[in-house]
Amino acid sequence: MRRLFLVLGSDVRRHLKSPLAIVIFMAIPMVMTALIGIIFAPKAEQTTLPPIPVVLVDHDKSIASRLVLGAFDADQLKKMFEVTVADEAEGRRRMEKGRASAILIVPEKFTLDLLDGKTTTLTVVKNPAEQFLPDVVEEFVATMAVMLSGAIQAFEAEAKGIRVLLDSPVDLIPWETLGPEFGKAQKKVVAASKYLNPLLIGIKAEETRAPGAKPRFTRRDLFSIMLPGMAVMFLLFIVQTLMRDIISERGDGKLRRMMTTPLRPMELVGARLLGGWVMGLVVLLVMVAVGTLIFGAYWGNFGYFLLLGAAVSFWTAAFFGLFGALVRNRNQAGAFSAPIILAFSLFGGSMMNPEAMPKAFRAIGVATPNRWFIDGAALVRDGRFPLVPLLILLASGLVLAALAAPALRRRISV
Amino acid sequence: MLEIKNLTKSYGDVVALDRFSLDLKKGEVLGLLGPNGAGKTTLISILAGTISDFTGTVSFQGRDLFADRRLKNRLGIVPQDMAFYEELSARDNLLFWGGLYDVPRADLKKRAEELLELVELAARAKEPVKNFSGGMKRRLNAAIGLLHKPDLLLLDEPTVGIDVQAKVSLLDIIRGVGAAGTAVIFTTHQLAEVEGTCSRIAIMDHGRILAQGTLEELVRIVGEREIVEIAGGFAAGAFSEAVQDLAGERLELLSAADGLASLAVRDTGEIPRIMDRLFSRGLAVADIKIKSPSLETVFLKLTGRSLRD
Repeated sequence: MRRLFLVLGSDVRRHLKSPLAIVIFMAIPMVMTALIGIIFAPKAEQTTLPPIPVVLVDHDKSIASRLVLGAFDADQLKKMFEVTVADEAEGRRRMEKGRASAILIVPEKFTLDLLDGKTTTLTVVKNPAEQFLPDVVEEFVATMAVMLSGAIQAFEAEAKGIRVLLDSPVDLIPWETLGPEFGKAQKKVVAASKYLNPLLIGIKAEETRAPGAKPRFTRRDLFSIMLPGMAVMFLLFIVQTLMRDIISERGDGKLRRMMTTPLRPMELVGARLLGGWVMGLVVLLVMVAVGTLIFGAYWGNFGYFLLLGAAVSFWTAAFFGLFGALVRNRNQAGAFSAPIILAFSLFGGSMMNPEAMPKAFRAIGVATPNRWFIDGAALVRDGRFPLVPLLILLASGLVLAALAAPALRRRISV
Repeated sequence: MLEIKNLTKSYGDVVALDRFSLDLKKGEVLGLLGPNGAGKTTLISILAGTISDFTGTVSFQGRDLFADRRLKNRLGIVPQDMAFYEELSARDNLLFWGGLYDVPRADLKKRAEELLELVELAARAKEPVKNFSGGMKRRLNAAIGLLHKPDLLLLDEPTVGIDVQAKVSLLDIIRGVGAAGTAVIFTTHQLAEVEGTCSRIAIMDHGRILAQGTLEELVRIVGEREIVEIAGGFAAGAFSEAVQDLAGERLELLSAADGLASLAVRDTGEIPRIMDRLFSRGLAVADIKIKSPSLETVFLKLTGRSLRD
C-alpha cells in the first residue's frame, strides 16, 4: 500500500506541476457556460431601454406642433425618447449615421388644419437599419395622433374660438366676448382634471405566480442547469488525459522500469484508478466552486452533490482504465477517446436539454455517465437525494473497475 | 552471484534467446555485444522481470530471481529509454523511483544527494527534467538505477544518443560501480565503449553467446591476424599478381586498389617477404602500416558482415 500511495502522490504532484491541460479543460466549460448564459439568460437587472433618438422636423411652428413636442417631454416619455428639433436634411444625416431611430415630420399649417377640423398627416420616417426602435416611435406617434384627434373633437367649440384668435390681429380680438368661451372650456378641463390630475389609475409593475407554478427563470437558474452537463463532459476529457499515463508509460519505458522494482502490478493499477478518481473529483469540485463564485450557480445539498461527484469520477476513472487497457497506443487512444466523450455528451444531455432531445437520443443517453450525473444534479438541486443516479453510476462503475483491473494488470505484465 | 542456465525465449517462430547461459561474479562488468536482434534486450527484460513466458533458470545470490519479489530490491536497471518523469525535478525523480524500493526515507534522501553529486546534477537538482540536455537526462537515467545500491545492475544501451563528454562520464560511473562491488551487465553496439570499461566481453548473436572473455582472450579465440596496409605507386592488378603465390595459411590478400592494398598476416615476420616480392617486380612502396586486431574485427568475424534489421 505504501508504494500505491507513493505512485498516487507522484501522479498528483506531476499533474499539478504541469496543469495546463487540466486548466484548459476546466476553463472551457466555464467560458462556454458564461457565453451561453450571457446570450440566452433573461436579464433581470436591465428592464428599460436606452432613450430612442428621434428628430422632430417642425414645418408648422405653432400651437399643435408645440403640443407634439411637449408630449415627448412628459416625465415618463423623457426617459424613453431623446427628441432633437432639426430640419429634415439634418434628420436624414443623423439617421444615416445611426444617431436617429426615426424622423417625425409635422406638416405646415398642422395647427390650423386641426382647428379647422381638416385631415392632416404626421409623417414618421423610420431608420431602415433598425428593426425595433423605429416601430416604437411609430406606435407612440399613432397613439398621440388618436389622442390629439380626440381632444380636438372634445374641444371643438373652443377650438373655433382659438382659430379666430389665431387669424385676428391682437387689437381686433373681441376680448369681452371670449369670457363665456373660456368659461365653457374651463368647466370641461376641470371635469376632466378630476380624472386626469392626479391620475386615478396608477401603474405598478408586479409579477404574480399561480400557486404551484414554477418561479421566474433567471440567469442563475440557467447556469445551475447547464454547469453539471458541461462539468461532466470536461471531467471526462480531464480524466482520460490523466489516465493516458497508463498508455504512454507502456511506450516510453517507465512501466518497464516500475516493474523491475518491488512494486506489484495491482498496486500500480490501484494507484492509477485511485488517482483518476481523486483527481476527477478534485477537478469537479473546483469547477463547482468556480461556477458558484462566478455564476452564482446553485447545486443544492453539498453532501449529496459530493456523493454524486465521487460516483461519476469513479465511473470515469474505471471507464478510462479499461479503455487504456484495450487500446494499443497513445495515438489510438487519442483517436478514439474524443469521439466517445462527444457521443456521451451528445446523447447524455451535456450539449442540449435532455427534454428537448429526440426519443432515440434519450434512450441511448441512459448508457452514459453524463445523463445520470445531470439527472442526479437536478434532483440534488430540487432538494432530493439522487438515489437512482447514484446507484447506477456506482454499480456500473464497479463493473467497469472489475473489468479494468485485470485487463490493466495483463497489459502491464506483458 | 548470477547464474543463467539455458534461457530460451521465442516470439512466434523467431528465437530471441536460445539456451542462453552465463555466469557473473560480484564486481564483474560484463559488456554484452551483439548486432540488432541478437537477443540482448530480451535478456535484460527477462532479468528485469518484465518478460515472464520463457524457459530456463536464473539464480541470483543463490535464489531463484523470479520466485522472491524481495530480490528486486537488489536489482537495478538503466533502460534504453529515458524512463523518468520530465515534469518532476531530478531530485523528485530520484526520491520517487528510489521510494519504490525498500529504502528508508532518510537514507533515500541522503543517497539521492550523493548521486546528484556523482552524476554532476546537484546544481540543477530542483529544475524540471524537461529542461535538461540529452546527456544530463542520460546521467539521471543511470542515477535512478543506482539509487538503492543494487548488487546487480543492468544497463541496456545506456549511451545511445549522447555526446562524447556525457558518454565518458557515464562509462566512468559504470567502472566505479563495478569497482564498488556491483555486478554489471552492459549491452551496447559501441565496441569501443566495452574495450575500456568492461572486465569481460561477451559477443552474442541469434540468442546465444558466440564467444566471451577479455579482449585478448577473444582475439586468441577467433585466431585473428594482424592487418598490413601498404601504400605506393602500384597498380591493383600488379600488386595482386606479385603476392599471389605467397597467399596461404599465413597470408591473405584482403583488398587491392591502385596505390593501396591490405593483407592479413599470421605474424609480422611475413612483411620482409612481401617487400622482396614487390621490389623484385619493380613496385614502389611509400608506406607500411600494421594494425593489431580490434574488437571490431573480432565482432565482424563472429557475427558476419550482413546487415541486420
